[in-house]
Amino acid sequence: MSRELPTFVHLDADAFFVAVERALDPSLRGKKVAVGGRQRGIISSASYEARACGVYTPMPTAQALRVCPDLILVSGGMGRYGEFSRRLFALCETVTPLVERRSIDEGFMDVGPCGWRSAEEIAAKIRALQQRIREELDLPVSFGLATAKLVAAIASKQRKPEGFTVVAAGAEESFLAPLPIGVLPGVGKKTEVLLKANGIVKVADLLAHGDAELAALLGRDWRDWQRMARGEDDSEISLEREDAKSYSQQETFAEDAADFAIILRVAKGMLDALLPKVRADGKRARTLTVKVRYPGMGEDVAGRSLAAATDLEGPFYALLESLLRQAWRRRAAVRLVAVRLSGIEGEESQLELFGENREREERQRRLAEAVDALNARSGGRVRHGHQLGRGKN
Amino acid sequence: MKFKINRDHFVTGLSQVINVVGTRASMPILSNVLIEAEGDTVSLTTTNLDLGIRARIKAEVSTNGTITLPVKKLATIVRALPSNDTTVELSGQNRVKITSGGSVFQIMGLAADQFPPLPTFADQHNFSLAQKDLSGLLKKVAYAQSTDENRYILNGVFFNFGEGKLSLVATDGRRLATAEKTMTIGEDEGGSLILPAKTVAELQRLLGDAGEVAITFNDRQVSFVTQITKNDTGLVDNIRLVSKVVEGNYPNYRQVIPKETVHRVDIERELLLECVGRAAIMTSDKSSSVKLTVGNNEIEISASSTEFGEAHEKVAVKYDGPEVKIAFNPQYLSDPLRALSDDTVHFEFKDDMSPGVFKNKEDFLCVVMPQRLS
Repeated sequence: MSRELPTFVHLDADAFFVAVERALDPSLRGKKVAVGGRQRGIISSASYEARACGVYTPMPTAQALRVCPDLILVSGGMGRYGEFSRRLFALCETVTPLVERRSIDEGFMDVGPCGWRSAEEIAAKIRALQQRIREELDLPVSFGLATAKLVAAIASKQRKPEGFTVVAAGAEESFLAPLPIGVLPGVGKKTEVLLKANGIVKVADLLAHGDAELAALLGRDWRDWQRMARGEDDSEISLEREDAKSYSQQETFAEDAADFAIILRVAKGMLDALLPKVRADGKRARTLTVKVRYPGMGEDVAGRSLAAATDLEGPFYALLESLLRQAWRRRAAVRLVAVRLSGIEGEESQLELFGENREREERQRRLAEAVDALNARSGGRVRHGHQLGRGKN
Repeated sequence: MKFKINRDHFVTGLSQVINVVGTRASMPILSNVLIEAEGDTVSLTTTNLDLGIRARIKAEVSTNGTITLPVKKLATIVRALPSNDTTVELSGQNRVKITSGGSVFQIMGLAADQFPPLPTFADQHNFSLAQKDLSGLLKKVAYAQSTDENRYILNGVFFNFGEGKLSLVATDGRRLATAEKTMTIGEDEGGSLILPAKTVAELQRLLGDAGEVAITFNDRQVSFVTQITKNDTGLVDNIRLVSKVVEGNYPNYRQVIPKETVHRVDIERELLLECVGRAAIMTSDKSSSVKLTVGNNEIEISASSTEFGEAHEKVAVKYDGPEVKIAFNPQYLSDPLRALSDDTVHFEFKDDMSPGVFKNKEDFLCVVMPQRLS
């Protein structure tokens, strides 16, 4: 059932991690900036200036520095990205309750229920949202508007950064026709090569080929491909947010690390990054797992559960050192360390009876929440004591 | 060894001891029941080394003797026998023949001298009380035991003999139930023990509603001897249960029982139990609590979850204090309500972060910690 107005909106933040870093540190604006670990790390986001230089994601940092020697590297912090993402989607929700988060920096909105009567009116309102996101969060976001999610998602990618593309009702097929086949979801590199080898280069080519030929090429789903090529997609906004089953982080060392104190400090830093996320989601975790990987790619794991789930660092700090010693059984230099919190529990937390620690825990929670709030404003400048002294990187 | 026995009596006797079997591959004899025939009784004993039970049944013993047989298999056979008149006799080396009607079974067993004896121990404390009293106390607290193996001290029921009463306590760290019974305890006779959960379950099964139970314990072991009063079952004398105790110090439970009552309502027990059960239908894994909102002479029992929706129900109570809304795990509310038989219970509370307390008129209280809503 196609809609009469382009009420599906796809939003896609432009170079999101870099944009957040720039929002927090305006001196990075206009420069070749990338977020990623130094040396053995990977670039996870690159500014358009850096992209012009040949930096892409994911690209090994060392390679990025070769193609773009004056690249400014920022080590990044998931905590602040999560917070900006939350605020970005919160602004979307001021427009419509039907907001679907696809990832930290990408999502759909359905403005159908807003009652706007023309494509122009919808476009004006979404332009206003784009402007508001720019003003309040200092983030560039590209928008695509169409009658179907599929088309909106492709539209938002057409004029980045800060693009704004509206595909009018009825114009879906002609909008898609000249685009390269690779824009369709599900067309990976291999499929793209295969299709191009068979003369399907643009989306329009899918409709120009005979049924038998397409069936032979694409298998029994070939009709779905043609529907996509016509811009037909009847999927709705999915509000069921997949709840996180676990929270994890890993770090590849610039040089293989054999100093336990350093590995431990890195692992603690990960806990410090993960627990604010757990708190921000209103969850608690019960199980801590630590993994170390050696240069030969062999790895060892150790994990343990607390008697009760928590959203505080303290109980996990207590487990971390012994787990790390347990995991690091080869005592050989380590290339990567990873920390994972699982056994995630929901909104309500059962209070304990025997709480000599109960009041202390309350105080710790208040402190943790205060630190989280400060970090949300300052972009992660408040650190735990054990992360001070020797700077990271 | 040879004896004649009533099949139904044999079934009853075996069913008293059948739950206690060892599972260690290294000691196959622990899956067997020790059968000792002497005079006019047959003793049946099982043990898993932590817990042992002995029951006696009447029989016509023509030749004294002992043997051990696999208890599960034996019980299956005996239940299936065609006639009430059953004869059991040693028919070879560690081999037993069971005859009933036209049916004959030959079962392989193991020699009785390999069977670990039920421990006898130096008694330090001896008490006796009515079986139905102990049974009633256990029912009021047993559900609150912890099943978390990390908290093994809480994996049982705490028995405290002192201050002129027997107090039973169980807690899983989130709720705590205690029930007590006055009894005569001499000045220096007091003492306490933690009875393991598995033993609690067996004891609850063994306790009847007539006769006495004798409790004997020291630092490591406890025995319960229940008198047999009814005689149509074939059971005679007594059933003896011997168990290890949980070693360690039970937490200071008195500190978590609120010292003073801030607010209190009296509620019809069964009605509240039903309301909690209805509200709990609308809870989910993510929103697992049932909320009690007390205010203006009514208590509202409600639950809501984004997945399913919500449920509300109001019950009139006498209350004119400030409105208080507290969220609880519904199981923690329904367990004590179900364990009581009183028409009315008292519910005491303070605020959403403080424990709620169920009490009956005399001998019971259950402290329940709320759930924090985020």
